[in-house]
Amino acid sequence: MSDNVLASKAKGLYQILCQDNWGKNTVAILVALLSILMLAWDRPWGAVGAVRNWGEWIIYGTGLWDLLGFADVYDSDTPKAFLTHTGSVIGIGFIGGAFLSACLGGNFALRIPPKLEMVKAVFAGIFMGAGATLAGGCNVGGFYNAIGNLSAHGFAMMAGLIIGAILGLKYVYWEMENISWGASGGKTINLPGALQILLGIATLAALLIGAYTYTNGDIEKLGGVLLITALLGYAFQRGRWCMIQGFREPHMTGNAKMAKSIALSIVILAIGIAIIKSKYIGLSDMNGNSMDYFWKHYVRGTFGWGGVVGGILFAFGAIQAGGCGTGTLWRVGEGQIKLWIVTPFFGMACAVGSMLSKKYNWEGSIEEGSSLGSYVYLPHLFGYSGTLALIFLIMAVWYLIVAWNEETNKLMLEM
Amino acid sequence: MDLDSIKPDQILDAKGLSCPMPLLRTKKAINSIASGQILEVLGTDPGSKNDLPSWCERSGHNCLGAKDDVGFFHIFIKKG
Repeated sequence: MSDNVLASKAKGLYQILCQDNWGKNTVAILVALLSILMLAWDRPWGAVGAVRNWGEWIIYGTGLWDLLGFADVYDSDTPKAFLTHTGSVIGIGFIGGAFLSACLGGNFALRIPPKLEMVKAVFAGIFMGAGATLAGGCNVGGFYNAIGNLSAHGFAMMAGLIIGAILGLKYVYWEMENISWGASGGKTINLPGALQILLGIATLAALLIGAYTYTNGDIEKLGGVLLITALLGYAFQRGRWCMIQGFREPHMTGNAKMAKSIALSIVILAIGIAIIKSKYIGLSDMNGNSMDYFWKHYVRGTFGWGGVVGGILFAFGAIQAGGCGTGTLWRVGEGQIKLWIVTPFFGMACAVGSMLSKKYNWEGSIEEGSSLGSYVYLPHLFGYSGTLALIFLIMAVWYLIVAWNEETNKLMLEM
Repeated sequence: MDLDSIKPDQILDAKGLSCPMPLLRTKKAINSIASGQILEVLGTDPGSKNDLPSWCERSGHNCLGAKDDVGFFHIFIKKG
């Protein structure tokens, strides 16, 4: 009898961990904690580092590496190896975790979109890459982890994301009325449930073996990076936590759940990161090197026109893509072919943008300044407590606006 | 409610579409039917199973339920 109880509880636990849809706020808290852990472990995480590295490899594969000037700018015959480049490992972990979640939950299927969506995927990816270049990152490095890391450029991109989401939605409405070519005819190829579970188990094994191999190899830190980002990807997919939805839904349906959960997540993240960044100053690492540089993590010179314009371009593209930087990667992990098309174009656009930025020194440096905006580490202006107060205040204002709109629909765009 | 016995007044094929298109197409389709009539949405985006019922709740329509099929699902909405 008690065996039956235990078996049913085990089944219940499996259902909670692997099959149920996690609530938005649960994921918000998990993402904040894991993002704090990433900084404590090594550095903040973002999605652009991965797609840019993969985009560089595609450019290299097409033979354009030398021709476009990458070889000169980076003084290298090849892009960085994707299995040892931290940015790329972050992306591999994230997609791996999302794929694991989709397989265990029985959500994985190859979803082939109608033709119009495939064409949009190409343009969406390019817009996102251009936007991420100007804004100093995607919705993570340019917004979420930017504000979380106490850098002002996150607020510039946030303003741009709000405007870009509205413009993107207006375009979608226009398209629905005016373009009928290729709007239907999608297909789905399903995988049997048992095969999905097997693929899930294989992915889990691959992640663990990968982490073990890194930890015992030359680049110890990558083991932890792989596992923490796999947990992030898992949580994002399980809760379908889509940041661009937070900017789109208030104007599309009025629903403010996602926006509120992003605000909550940023508040927790900022507290954690303020603790780490303020404590590490003046300390040394295990090898005796000073850690005074630590505050510079994710402080970018895009607080200004770069952040705003980049945010507009990025959000416009993300609305057409149906996923932001992270939303794109976890949907890749659940088999959405449209996002499989977005990713390489997003990556190539990031690669070209980044190379040009370096070549013409657009972002300069903290010391000499940037032509995309300013480098502003908020605690240098307001202290740590003042910075946290400012972040709480702006998140509270955002919360109040979307909550008020949820009730009144004043900011809704009618079709 | 027995979903198998429902006779929809209109069917929307949103298969293969990803977020936010299934919801937007549903919004558009529901404008073309009368109050009390039923729209059947065919979809493949897992997000729709949450998005459509919560949108119905917000906008006064009645989501009658979802049914899995081979490779896609049906969602039935009665216009409010």
